[in-house]
Amino acid sequence: MSHPTDDDLILHFYGELPPGEAAQVDGHLRACASCHDAWSELGETLKLVDAAAIPEPPDGFERVMWAKVQQTLPAPRRGSFWNWRQLVPIASLAAVVLAAVTLSYRAPGKAPAARPEMAPMVKTVADPNRTSERVLLTALDGHFEQTELLLTELLNAPEDGAAGFDYERATADDLVASGRLYRMTAEQIGKQHLAAILEDLEPVLMEIARSPEKSNRNALKSLRSQIGDDDLLFKVRAVTNEIRERQQEMITTHEGSL
Amino acid sequence: MQLDDAAAVAQAKGGDQEAFRVLVERHSRSIYRLAYRMTGKPEDAEDVVQETFVRAYKQLVRFEARSNFATWLYRIGFNCSIDYMRARPHRESAEAHDTLERLSPGDSGPSMDDRVFAGQIGEKVQDALKDLSPQERAAFLMRHYHGCSIEEICEALGLKSNAAKHSIFRAVKKMRVALRPLMNARVES
Repeated sequence: MSHPTDDDLILHFYGELPPGEAAQVDGHLRACASCHDAWSELGETLKLVDAAAIPEPPDGFERVMWAKVQQTLPAPRRGSFWNWRQLVPIASLAAVVLAAVTLSYRAPGKAPAARPEMAPMVKTVADPNRTSERVLLTALDGHFEQTELLLTELLNAPEDGAAGFDYERATADDLVASGRLYRMTAEQIGKQHLAAILEDLEPVLMEIARSPEKSNRNALKSLRSQIGDDDLLFKVRAVTNEIRERQQEMITTHEGSL
Repeated sequence: MQLDDAAAVAQAKGGDQEAFRVLVERHSRSIYRLAYRMTGKPEDAEDVVQETFVRAYKQLVRFEARSNFATWLYRIGFNCSIDYMRARPHRESAEAHDTLERLSPGDSGPSMDDRVFAGQIGEKVQDALKDLSPQERAAFLMRHYHGCSIEEICEALGLKSNAAKHSIFRAVKKMRVALRPLMNARVES
């Protein structure tokens, strides 16, 4: 064979030549002194590279590195899926109680009679709209937080279908049920914008509740698109903040009136 | 009992940070060595190690169980190193210029024998590595120190086979030029 090029020798050094070519190069190196010298020089140079020492990091490097890495990792979820999932029935129960309270205030002839000596306190606490609003806001705070977690889970779920969808479906089902009760209450006490957001959320929650047991690429894509197109996550976060501000405002007003 | 990589990855994928800690503590030294060879500075190497694990955590869902975690991590480490070096081009080019001067055959510093026998080979090799482009350095280090095949290098660095081979060829040729004074000194001694 003709003299191997430098590139051939490098490939041969790293074992990247096909077996037939490697055998030919070996044969040539045995017969050609100049190529043999070039081959030896290449080997010596690369041995020198191997001899280069690397400074070792100090003792405890691993622990320090973990501390640094951990600081930049996303915070663990606020409780596992199981934990927040378990809150949904409680929210549903709260919705029923809330609806019952609201309806009792609305029913004719059912207003609680205040005794004369209790009148000032009762006037503050038992304002029907205010009480209903406070209970509704407390319930909706949890409801929207769970909705946000559910939507976030879906936006971050793997698309390969490996993840089961059972809990998401059941959670969405519960959120639809409680959301309807909250919406009814919100409409009754004149909180139309809260009712409107609950109405916006219902179709996507229903779609999640009816989705296949195993997530699949198409179902997820459709859900994500719906969540994204309607800016649902943004709306949920915004309304949650608004609710919390309103709750704070009500506490301040209440404390001021006392 | 200490988790093996596969079990730790599986748990970490489920959000278990304690399992991810096992992986960080197990692999951080080897990624440090890689990063040091790529960046040439201990403090830069530490930054690269940190970024490598942060990226690995974010990409963990994409890791396939049948793959080798250490190899997968090396790929991320090399890419982080390249990104890191690209993010500091001015510093890199100033150092490269300085390196070329120091590596020239007419180097008038201490005698080569002194350097070799004082155990400064590592420094010289590191200087030579700095003279390589990030792509040449990554391809060379993957092949030379980590035994990666051309195919693996292509996959990790997003190169075609010829481009990966030529990166290695250029790297080896530059290393030969840079280390020739050391070789000559060794022969003379």
